[in-house]
Amino acid sequence: MIKVPKKPLPSLLTIIGYPFAIALTIFSFFQVGFNLEDFKRNWENRKLVTNTLFNPKWEWAIENASQALLETIQIAILASILGCFIALPLSFYASRATNQTTITYLIYKSFLNFIRTIPDLFWAMLFTVAVGLGPFAGVLALIMFSMAIMGKLLSETIDSIDLGPLEAAKASGAKHNQAVFTSALPQILPNFTAYFLYIFELCIRASVILGLVGAGGVGRIIETQRIFLRFDRISPIIVLILVAVIAIEQFSVWLRRKIL
Amino acid sequence: MNIPKQPVNQRVLKYLITVLIVVGSIWSASGLEITPERFLTAPSKVWILITAMFPLDLSQEAIDRIVPKVGESLFIAWAGTVIGAIFSFPISFLAANNVSLNSFSRATKQVLNVIRAFPELILAFVLLPITGLGPLTGTLAVGIHSIGTLGKLSSEVIEGIDEGPLESIKSSGGTKLNELFFGVIPQVMPTITSYWLYRFEINLRASAVLGVVGAGGVGAELINQLRFRDFPRAGTVLVVTILMVLIVDTISAAIRRRIIKGREIKV
Repeated sequence: MIKVPKKPLPSLLTIIGYPFAIALTIFSFFQVGFNLEDFKRNWENRKLVTNTLFNPKWEWAIENASQALLETIQIAILASILGCFIALPLSFYASRATNQTTITYLIYKSFLNFIRTIPDLFWAMLFTVAVGLGPFAGVLALIMFSMAIMGKLLSETIDSIDLGPLEAAKASGAKHNQAVFTSALPQILPNFTAYFLYIFELCIRASVILGLVGAGGVGRIIETQRIFLRFDRISPIIVLILVAVIAIEQFSVWLRRKIL
Repeated sequence: MNIPKQPVNQRVLKYLITVLIVVGSIWSASGLEITPERFLTAPSKVWILITAMFPLDLSQEAIDRIVPKVGESLFIAWAGTVIGAIFSFPISFLAANNVSLNSFSRATKQVLNVIRAFPELILAFVLLPITGLGPLTGTLAVGIHSIGTLGKLSSEVIEGIDEGPLESIKSSGGTKLNELFFGVIPQVMPTITSYWLYRFEINLRASAVLGVVGAGGVGAELINQLRFRDFPRAGTVLVVTILMVLIVDTISAAIRRRIIKGREIKV
């Protein structure tokens, strides 16, 4: 007879976690108001959308939205480049491997964590109030957005670099900054490039919706047509966006394979 | 000392990338009519906004309005994540090319790609006339988008499993279904659950934003207060949202670490 080892008792996390998760699920569904009555009534409105959504006005969209779509792409390019390059030095300060001073480490780390908690569109709203409506607010919002993601990803990568080269550089007389520049930076550059392309894709997606709060780009046109329920004008714009997003993604996948 | 030169094509690539980055940013900046001065004056303008927010509006009335809205965002995110998790789980098996048929997997992946391409907000306002103003629309939008992203991530986890256990099940007479239940699922479950939690963290930010189009949550509150130039109250909305996101992130990250690392079992 084979001795089967006993199954370990469930941990405290499982005992509390499962009922809590189930309770939260039930409670959430009640809270978001899954009300069949309303749903049925609103379901009759579906023609409002479906009639127009699948009847796209292509000429109108191409004529009116292509300039805005270009603006969207420009916002994403500028913001992801600036955001990522601002994040590059910051992440060295926010990593234990390259910053031994606990206080500055904690300050940079919590600064990056803090800007990560604010959603991209909240940034856009705040910047539209601060610097005025228009694409500049969108650029600033996406700079914060990409800076936060790059900071987190990159500082965690720096945490796990090989410390040997850093020590070697210091042993041969390099100052701390010099050592970081010559032996830590080259180690993370491939990661930086990969993250940059990833963040650029995220920015392209995020920049589409910036216009909803007046921060420039194609979202502005979507927002004005949405108010008038002109889904026949929105649907071709959405298709245009999809084509642009997918094309840019393919380009970035190709570039990633080329570089890395 | 002889330092070996970098190979030519690598150097060319390096210059090419530098040129691409510089030209790209200049082209974008000129197209958007953004000058360096605007960047230099921006911090002072942001500072004016920040000082206008303090002291925060902590009156009872403000708290009573804002906290339930923040809670609503939390519930939208959770319910949306649950929808995403429930639907993406079976779909991810169809999409994984080592479990499902090859043609099937390719088709499912394409469907997931299309779902993923729509941002939540776009989904939300297409759904809005059908499901009505309110959190239900937000939940569905978040849920549908999560199906796309979770399906992709989970199917990649399934594709990366160790085939050994499957073989041993097969050799001891297990059926295809046995392989799935005792070979695949136990291997992928920890990673997939941690992806669910990770998605919940992302959805929390997404659902906070959804209020902008009227799909429930705290976003509507923020945009209204900013429109009416009630900055102290907008500040309160921001601070409460940030606190909630920070707390949820911390808890969720701790649980994820525990799930991935596992518990130490004394034998």
